[in-house]
Order: sequence, then C-alpha cells, then structure tokens
Amino acid sequence: MTILEVKGLTHTYSESSAAVTDAVNDVSFGIEKGEIIGIIGHTGSGKSTLVQHLNGLLKPTAGTVLFKDEDIWKNPKEIRKIRSKVGLVFQYPEYQLFEETVYADIAFGPKNMGVSGDELDGRVREICNIIGIKDEYLEKSPFDLSGGEKRRVAIAGVMAMKPEVIVFDEPTAGLDPRGREDVMNIIKNYREASDATVIIISHSMEDMAALADKILVMNKGKLELFDTVENVFSQGERLRAMGLNVPIVTRIFAELIRRGINLPENVFTVEAAVEALKKLKEEDGNA
Amino acid sequence: MLNDITFGQYYESRSPIHRTDPRVKIVLTFILIVFIFLSNNIYALIFSALSVLAVLLVSRVPLKMYLKNMKAILPILIFTAVINLFYSSKGTVLLSFWKISITTAGVYRAVFTSLRIILLILISSVLTYTTTPNDLTDAIESLCSPLKYIGLKSAVHTLAMMMTIALRFIPTLIEEAEKIMNAQKARGADIESGNLIERVKALVPILIPLLMSSVRRAYELAEAMECRCYNGGEGKTRMKRMKLSVIDLRMSIYSAILCAGIILLNVLI
Repeated sequence: MTILEVKGLTHTYSESSAAVTDAVNDVSFGIEKGEIIGIIGHTGSGKSTLVQHLNGLLKPTAGTVLFKDEDIWKNPKEIRKIRSKVGLVFQYPEYQLFEETVYADIAFGPKNMGVSGDELDGRVREICNIIGIKDEYLEKSPFDLSGGEKRRVAIAGVMAMKPEVIVFDEPTAGLDPRGREDVMNIIKNYREASDATVIIISHSMEDMAALADKILVMNKGKLELFDTVENVFSQGERLRAMGLNVPIVTRIFAELIRRGINLPENVFTVEAAVEALKKLKEEDGNA
Repeated sequence: MLNDITFGQYYESRSPIHRTDPRVKIVLTFILIVFIFLSNNIYALIFSALSVLAVLLVSRVPLKMYLKNMKAILPILIFTAVINLFYSSKGTVLLSFWKISITTAGVYRAVFTSLRIILLILISSVLTYTTTPNDLTDAIESLCSPLKYIGLKSAVHTLAMMMTIALRFIPTLIEEAEKIMNAQKARGADIESGNLIERVKALVPILIPLLMSSVRRAYELAEAMECRCYNGGEGKTRMKRMKLSVIDLRMSIYSAILCAGIILLNVLI
C-alpha cells in the first residue's frame, strides 16, 4: 500500500525576491508502507525542504502531497492532524527541548494530540522502554543531560506521538561514533516495535547501505534517482558528479576488482564485505 | 511570518546621501530637526517641507518606503492633531457645540504641529534608510569619543560593541526562532490559534529553547573573542576607517543654506 505519495512537488522560497530559484523542482515519488527510505544529496539540494512538505510544515508552491491517497492540504485548517501521522525529527532536535523534566518533554507531542491520563503515561513509558531511557532519567531536567542523551529524549518526543511515517533529518549529525550507533539502533528498534515507515536524510552512505530499502537522490532541487540500494550505489560515477559517493567498502572493492581480484561488485556494507572475502578465501583454499 | 521583519531599514543605493559620512549624517540630521522645530511661521515651515522633500528625492529611496513609515505613526499624528484642534480659543469660531469650540487658530495649530511631526519622521527616516546599522553604531562610537577625556573611554567602546553584536545576531536569532517553531509545530504545537492567554502559553516551548541557545551562543562568542585576544577598545584599529571627504563638506553647505533660509523666513515675515 502506498502510504505517502508526492506528485509534481515544487517549492519556491520568497517569490518576491529577485533571485528566484526552486528549492524543490517538480519532484514525484511514492513510498510503500513499512519501507525504509534513505534520502541523500549534496548540501542545498532541497532534502530538508522536501521533507518539510511531508508533514505540512511547508505548503507546496505547486503539486500535491498525498497521505493514504488523501491530499494533506485538502482542508488547510486540519493540517495539524497530519503532524501526528507523519512525525518529523529535525536536525539537532535537542535544541527543541524546553520542559522541566524529561518526562514532560516526551509527553508534549502526544498531549498536543489530545492524549491524556493513563494512555499518555503508557505511551511515554513504552517509548522510553523501546529506546532505552531509564526510569531515573524521567524526573531529571533535560538540560542536565549529555548531548547524546538529549538527542535521545528529543527523538523520543516525536516517537511518542506514534506516527505512521517518521522522518529523520540527519539524525546522527554532530555525534561521536558511539552516539551514531545508538541513534541508528533506536531507529531500528522503533521500527521493529511499530512497523512504521521510516525516511532518513543522511550524509553517511554506510548508514544508508546498512539500513535503507530504497534510496532517493536529490540534486539541485530535482529528484535524480529513486531506486534500491544496489541500483543506486552501482552508479558511482553519477553519484560522484553530484558531490556524493558510494560506501567506502564499495570503493575498496572496486579498486580490488580493478587490480584483478575476483570479487563481487555489489558489496555495500562491511558485513557483506566480510562474507565476500571469506568466500574468496575458501575458493583460494580449494584451488 | 518572521520574514516580514526587516533587519534595520537600510535601503541599498549609491545616492550622495548614502555616500556621506555617517557621523556627518547624524549631526546634520540633528541640526535639521532643531531648525524644523524653530520654524515658527507657516512660510518657514513650508520652506522646511520643500527642503525635506528635496532631501527625500536626492536619497533615491522610493517614496513608497517613506510612506510606509508614515503609516506607523498615523495614530500619534491623529491624536496630536485632534488635541491641538481644541487647544486654542483665539481666532474666529468655526464650529461650536456644548462648551467646546473649534477656531481658525486651532485648525492652524493642528495643521502646523502635524506637519512638524511628519517632517521630523521623514528626515530621521532618511538617516536610517541610507545608513547601515553597523555604520550607525560606528558613527555613534566615533561621535562619543570625546567622552574618553572624562574617563568613559571603555564604556563608549563597550556600548558600541554591544550594539554591533546585538545587530549582528538579529538575523541569526530570527533563523533560530523559525527552526524551533517548526520543530515544535512538528510535535503538534498549536501556535496560530486560540485566545490571547493560550497564545502566550504556546510561546513558552519556543522562547525557552531560544533563550537557552542565546546563552550558549553568548558563551561561544565570548570564548571566540578571547581566543583572538580581544581585550576591549585599547589599541584597536579599524578595517574601514571613516574619513571626511568633499561630499561631506558639500552636504554640510547645503544644510547650512537650508538653515539660513529658515532663519531668514522666521525673521523677515
């Protein structure tokens, strides 16, 4: 089932100014329920602008966004309803924390949706369980936490709304390797617990290869590619021309193949690389 | 919604007024304001009005922009005019009801005072439209420099630095506020509807993160400044130094002619 569909989406910032450029230009695609979509693109390619249309924060200059076959702007007064169905975690979401306790901050989103009482409490605790926020943290001030912990709480605040589609704008930006891994695990855990559709903007080709089903490539406001991980990362030249690249292991394998070693080309993750090398070793042993 | 807030009022152009030294502009603006207030008969005031109109045209800022400023002070203008209308009891009575009467002198006074206020606003708009906020603060610092002889040197510099930093961070704060607003909207916050109290309450999730990030920025900026050995104004030189030129002299002469005209009309008629 197609859960989100974007048709001919165009967005122009400040139409009155002299330098009019389309931040997003005639973009169309459809996302199936339960998919994990990675969005990659050079800085300023329109990724962030694109995802802000998915929950109605921005209104398209032209084109439509359909959630479950219904135009989200059909009734502009009801636009807030879409925000509980399509959750959006911004870049550096820890800067949006404001409540006195971690608990109250996570409860802010669901409360705005009209959830209250036992259900609200249940949701907050359920989400803390999924992403590993311990009970003793709940009564702390969010401003006393470390950077990585703050980010966790901020992400929990959006997840507690139980959106059917959840969008992350560079969720691992500015984190150390441990923090990045934590955030990626949180996303995996949430998806397993809720079978939500996930959209992730990222500059890490490795993360994309490890997590995504399909990859959407944006370039200068236009949709350049929208295909499976394999089909996207097999076009190294085209990606490099857009200031992007393929995962490091893929690059290493390409070089090894060029030097005459018999390895497969379609290796995008470290795990797959290990498998391929093991297989090569076995073949060598047999020969 | 935040895009409507203009940053300062500077309007880019290359008119002679734009090229005048900001210090000279500030001083001349003050002098012209004083002389507009000194115009004590209608001929002198009309002469002032024509002079101001000439200055507006020379500034090459669209008259529409000046009108926009006028709109903002319209309530004050109407209030002053109405008060003055009933103020005077001299002259022929034009209209009379109950204990209040409107006289020719009252009408004259109302028109006279409103015109003065309009000219005042127009001439000060010329200053803000033709000078960048940074030039203005630099000029204020430079004009206040005599204060150093009475032991206020560092105070002048500190004040100017504070003004510059405040101006510099307005766009940054607007951008930040927009981001936080979007993030809270994405969490279902409703900041566009409801009654007054609800709206004020809805600002809390925006103002607290904004305050936190401003404090963080202030610390970062202070550290960055210290890393570059900033230690106040002592021995500091400037990249852009303000220098008086021919155009400043010319502007001063024109202004002197205008002032002389006003005095002549005041005395002769």
